[in-house]
Amino acid sequence: MTLFEDVAALSKQRRAPAGAERQVWDLPVRFFHWTLVVAFVTAYVTNRLGVAYFKYHVWAGYTVIVLVAFRLVWGLVGTRHARFWNFIRGPRETLVYARDLVLSKRRKGGNGAAESRHYAGHNPLGAIMVLALLVGLGTQATLGLFANDEIINTGPLYGYVTKSVSLIFTSVHRQLFYWLAGAVALHVLAVIGHRVFKNENLVRAMITGRKPHHAVAAGEAITSSRVWLAVVVGLVLALALAYVVGHAPLVDSAEF
Amino acid sequence: MSSQRFSGQRAAVAALVLCLGAGGSLIAHAQNAPAPGGLNAGRQAADERKAVFKLIGTNFRSVGALLKDGAQYDAANATKRIERVNFLAGLLNETFPDASNIGEPDTKAKPDVWTHRADFDKSLKEFQDHLVTLVAVNDKEKGLTEPFKVALSAVAQDCKSCHDSYRVK
Repeated sequence: MTLFEDVAALSKQRRAPAGAERQVWDLPVRFFHWTLVVAFVTAYVTNRLGVAYFKYHVWAGYTVIVLVAFRLVWGLVGTRHARFWNFIRGPRETLVYARDLVLSKRRKGGNGAAESRHYAGHNPLGAIMVLALLVGLGTQATLGLFANDEIINTGPLYGYVTKSVSLIFTSVHRQLFYWLAGAVALHVLAVIGHRVFKNENLVRAMITGRKPHHAVAAGEAITSSRVWLAVVVGLVLALALAYVVGHAPLVDSAEF
Repeated sequence: MSSQRFSGQRAAVAALVLCLGAGGSLIAHAQNAPAPGGLNAGRQAADERKAVFKLIGTNFRSVGALLKDGAQYDAANATKRIERVNFLAGLLNETFPDASNIGEPDTKAKPDVWTHRADFDKSLKEFQDHLVTLVAVNDKEKGLTEPFKVALSAVAQDCKSCHDSYRVK
């Protein structure tokens, strides 16, 4: 199913009878997710386009930093399925989930197959990916603040570090991208896997915020998105970043 | 007095021995030195290109900064820097002999320079051509105009493309 069809489904969903679906993802989580996708792609594209697009690359990085910081706060004060404590599981539960996931697929059609447990929000493996991507993208964007391209461009916080430290950060910034691209690919594959093997449309859920009622117990649905709280948190974080960047030592580009 | 003379003699002998030793080791070193085109020539070429790139870097940065928001065009400085980089870039052809593929930490030039020689030479030629264009455009425009920015970005982009492909990062 394409993104276009998902958007079409979203508009249809508005007319669907209430109660057929239940709200799982709040609006801030969905906005966070898709904006992060745009920022990640923009960061890559602006790097490939070249030195003249560096300022847009920096803006993509700022966006990632604010989004990741927001998501970390939202993991504490967000709605039910956004909260870390409600989706991060211990190793045992994660292993059981992973095992059942593999076995149920293998014994598909057989009787008494151990179906992997269903989770309304993130499943335990998805939780690991959420954390990995948050930490990875946050690290990536933060390293970029101190980077320099050894030509004309420097990250906004370059003035805080020595050139050799900056070059190390730049090197990690370059290499970490490939790990992140791999993680994103795995994430997308898992979503496709849910569609193919479990007949779950997670993309649509991340757009509409809703899942079929059989996938979400009545008590698990969320009733509010806490949008205003999210706006305040996002604004505070954006201002904090603007303050840090605005107070960084200036770098004379002829000298760096 | 005699002890003084004695110590003077001893010093002279010591100096002689040192000279002989140093001379001997120089001869030995010369005998062991690799043939032209060997490691020493390679190191020299690597040192030379590092020096040239260093100068290209510092000079280009000064004019490349014009691509950033709010930059002020200074004709004298821009022209001086562009002409310097144009001259320096011409020196690079001789600084990548095969023997200079000596790897890290002595050089950040990837071995790909030599394994993809045709492409590398083409990139270098483009860089030089874009500099010739930049010199001409700058002479004509003498200002932060759109054609000047286009010509300047082309050179900056050559730096990046080549760094991306051929420089260890």
